[in-house]
Amino acid sequence: MRQLRAALARIAGVFIGQRSDGDLRDELQSHVDMATAENMRRGMHPDEARRQAMLASGGLTAAAESVRDQRGLPWIESVAADLSYALRTLRRSRAFTAVVVITLALGIGANTAIFSVVRGVLLKPLPHRDGDRLVYLRQSVDGPGGENILFSVPEIHDFREGAKSLGGIAEYSPWTITLEGKEGASRITVGLVTGNFFDVMGLSPVLGRLTRPSDDGPGVAPVMVLTHEFWMRHFGGDPGIVGRQVKLDPGVVTVIGVLQPAPTFPDRMDALANMVLSKHHLSAQMVQGRTHRMTEMVARLAPGATVEQARAEVAAVYARLQHDYKDSYDPGSHYRVAIIPFKEALGERARLTLWLLMAAAAFVLIISAANVANLTLMRGLRREHELVTRAALGAGVARLRRLLLVENLLLTLMGAALGVVIAIGGVRLLVSLATRYSARAGEISLDGPVLAFTLGLSVTLALLLSFLATLPKEGAFASWMAAAGRRMTGGLKRQRLQRGLVVAQIAVSVVLLAGAGLLTRTMMRLSEVNTGLKTDEVLTLPVQLLSFGNGDFARIMSGDAAAKEGYDRMAAEVRALPGVLAVGVGSAMPLRGADVGLEVKAEGRAVAAGEATPRADLRTADPEYFRAAGIPLVNGRAFATTDGRDAGRVVIINQTLANKLFPHEDPIGKRVAWTGDVLRFSPWSGDWRTIVGVVGDTRDGGLDAEPPPAMYMPFAQELALGGGLVIRADSNVSALISAATRIVRRLAPTVPLGKVMTVAQLKDQSVAPRRLNAALISLFGGLAVIIAAVGIAGVLAFSVSARTNEIGVRMSLGADRGRVQRMILREGGVLLALGILAGVVGAFFGAAVIRGLLFGVAPHDPVTFAAVAVFMAAIGIAACWIPAVRAARVDPAIAMRST
Amino acid sequence: MAGKLDVKQGTLALMVLKTLEGLGPLHGYGIARRIEETSKNRLTLNYGTLYPALLKLEQERFITAEWRQSENNRRAKFYSLTAAGRKQLAREAREWHQTADLIAAFLAPRRGETS
Repeated sequence: MRQLRAALARIAGVFIGQRSDGDLRDELQSHVDMATAENMRRGMHPDEARRQAMLASGGLTAAAESVRDQRGLPWIESVAADLSYALRTLRRSRAFTAVVVITLALGIGANTAIFSVVRGVLLKPLPHRDGDRLVYLRQSVDGPGGENILFSVPEIHDFREGAKSLGGIAEYSPWTITLEGKEGASRITVGLVTGNFFDVMGLSPVLGRLTRPSDDGPGVAPVMVLTHEFWMRHFGGDPGIVGRQVKLDPGVVTVIGVLQPAPTFPDRMDALANMVLSKHHLSAQMVQGRTHRMTEMVARLAPGATVEQARAEVAAVYARLQHDYKDSYDPGSHYRVAIIPFKEALGERARLTLWLLMAAAAFVLIISAANVANLTLMRGLRREHELVTRAALGAGVARLRRLLLVENLLLTLMGAALGVVIAIGGVRLLVSLATRYSARAGEISLDGPVLAFTLGLSVTLALLLSFLATLPKEGAFASWMAAAGRRMTGGLKRQRLQRGLVVAQIAVSVVLLAGAGLLTRTMMRLSEVNTGLKTDEVLTLPVQLLSFGNGDFARIMSGDAAAKEGYDRMAAEVRALPGVLAVGVGSAMPLRGADVGLEVKAEGRAVAAGEATPRADLRTADPEYFRAAGIPLVNGRAFATTDGRDAGRVVIINQTLANKLFPHEDPIGKRVAWTGDVLRFSPWSGDWRTIVGVVGDTRDGGLDAEPPPAMYMPFAQELALGGGLVIRADSNVSALISAATRIVRRLAPTVPLGKVMTVAQLKDQSVAPRRLNAALISLFGGLAVIIAAVGIAGVLAFSVSARTNEIGVRMSLGADRGRVQRMILREGGVLLALGILAGVVGAFFGAAVIRGLLFGVAPHDPVTFAAVAVFMAAIGIAACWIPAVRAARVDPAIAMRST
Repeated sequence: MAGKLDVKQGTLALMVLKTLEGLGPLHGYGIARRIEETSKNRLTLNYGTLYPALLKLEQERFITAEWRQSENNRRAKFYSLTAAGRKQLAREAREWHQTADLIAAFLAPRRGETS
């Protein structure tokens, strides 16, 4: 109570200090008067009496000062004084302040923006209950498309039985189907889940209920839970959605709830439904087919179990499976299962890119901080006089340090404030980048922890900067004062520090430039990649007239003829559009992945032991498809209209498959067939088919992936599943988009249209994320170079201005301008050379880390490294030139007089 | 200056309170003189010590201050004890006695100890 009262009185004292100052003066004055009177009564002379009274008082001003300290909160008042002083100083040196604040803002802004993404995508705890207990299981094989082949129901069953450290297994089978609505149909991805899915995942509904074990099995009502994102996007967050019936192509489903916002993996999912929705998922093929791999697996670790235990148990179970079911795991494909913490799996694709960006941003901050440190050091030197004077007037070292700290805090906080503004803009850009890599992009925001990170960064920087300036030890003022009068270049230690900072700046810039160079070359290489198509003037327009539906083959067959007719009509009408050269129809669009890949075999050729079973993408094509797409015919013939429904089964294979099945042989006339367990559950036959042609490879898995092997069947001979139009024009094919889309919409108003894309756009899909990467790192690199150039120029300029006198002496002793200029250039050149050397060494080690982001360029690409070194050297020399020229212009007469 | 003592931390407040209790309302000069006299001039108080202490006591509401005419017609700021100050004085005096006793007992030569 007593302390509180006193504290309140003191806080009040801070504000009403002005008024009671007079009161205090009066009181002290009356005290002196009384003492004087007393002294006079003792017989002293009035003057002496007053002098004695003053002496006894211990100094009126000092007394007033100590009373003031008691009255208010002295440290607040002196900090306020420091603050107003710092503001005044900074206002006086506007250029310095502006340079420092902007430099810091760029560094802090970049770090804040990228940290918010790193946090949102990689670090933030998952929204799932005990999300760190979730693990993702992935089965992979060698070869294209083998990174994630999912699991079959029997495999999951065996893991559930054998691996007790997996406390619960959530299965989900992603399935793209058509949602019919008032505004037309749309394709949505539905995850078919078992009843325990949400319990294992640790997710709750925001509306209605989630599926539960009673929703499992046949004979129950089909129900669906919407993801939060889909509910907002498609239903506008309609609170009355629960209980609504929606029409999907397999049938009518009741919406029972909306899930809390949570990332889905590996694909974006719009809704989750029970298995009864798909006949296929309850069929014997699905439930018993060991190689019928269609299901994703996320498990929750049993209480007390570790990821390592789970790994060991799963590995044991998996080894037993491979032993027991040799047919399902051919040794050549190297079947394997990985267990990855779910959070890591979610961040997997973003991790390398994001840490690279984070490192680049950190580098930029280091360079900006080094620059600011250099500026502060130089300014500190100019301010030495001022600091010495303040020290002489009684400011202690601590007080001076605090003054510097307040000043630097002011600078970094201003930089941080501006940086956050920059970050707000940057985050928008980065979210679009992150969406390509992670399902968690929606969780990115400039929230409290991110801002705390920014604040922490600023305060740390301010502390570092404040302790860079050399202050004397307490009691050593005198020598410091004496020295400061003459010293202009600062101590040797300080010079070394300055130069070290410049070398570090250049080195870090070189590292960043090397990264930027490698990524830019990657992007260029990627856009130079031959897609396999002869021209870019191709439009692909996927439109699915016949879909798998609920897996009911009879229904699919019955719709086939109508679908084929529909495609014919569409093709005919589009062909009539002006500028169209050819229109092809096929099951999958060129440069886009095929929905189905199956094992293949060649007649009379056995797969050698230890060799992976050959697989190929299943595609269909009509006679005009290859011409329309611009896929070159390498050998044999294209399909003809004579390859009709009742003609002999023929196929065309691509170059990759030809090389694999028939190395050093002419494949034309040879026979191949689809094979494997899965074939039984598919609408395609395992009949022998005669190869009539070989076409060139197309980069269907993205420009950076090897072209997958593919086998084309005549469109007319197979079911018209998953079809689309390939349109070739003489020029500017994108002008055809709206006309072609209109035709399709008119002929098939209820059928969802896939993404209409030109080949140029498809190419760009591969290149765009790399371009953004390269652009961001180049931006950072450019920034770094500019800041480093300013840094080296600044340090040299400072050195020149400090050495003006010396230069004057040299010139009057006969050194000509060229010699002086060379002297300064040499000074800068040494720093530059050291920096570049250190940078190249650093980049050499750093580049290995980003190997995974590169394409078509070696991490230690000598061309890039050389270019970067030359570029940095050129910029550096240009930066040194200005102070060198200035040094050469020094007039010896003026220089020597000015001391 | 031999024989002069510094005022021990925390004891000045007690001296001020005791002085005001004994003499009634008094100005700073009077308090200083009284303390110096009581200490037989072993203590000297400079303003830098006294006035902050007075202000602190005022902030703690143990004393109040007002401007008044002094006995010889000078204007001076007079401090007087409040009820809270009286209680505080009693409490501090008691504590001080206890401490003093304790220290005295501690410093007294013990029996059986030779040195």
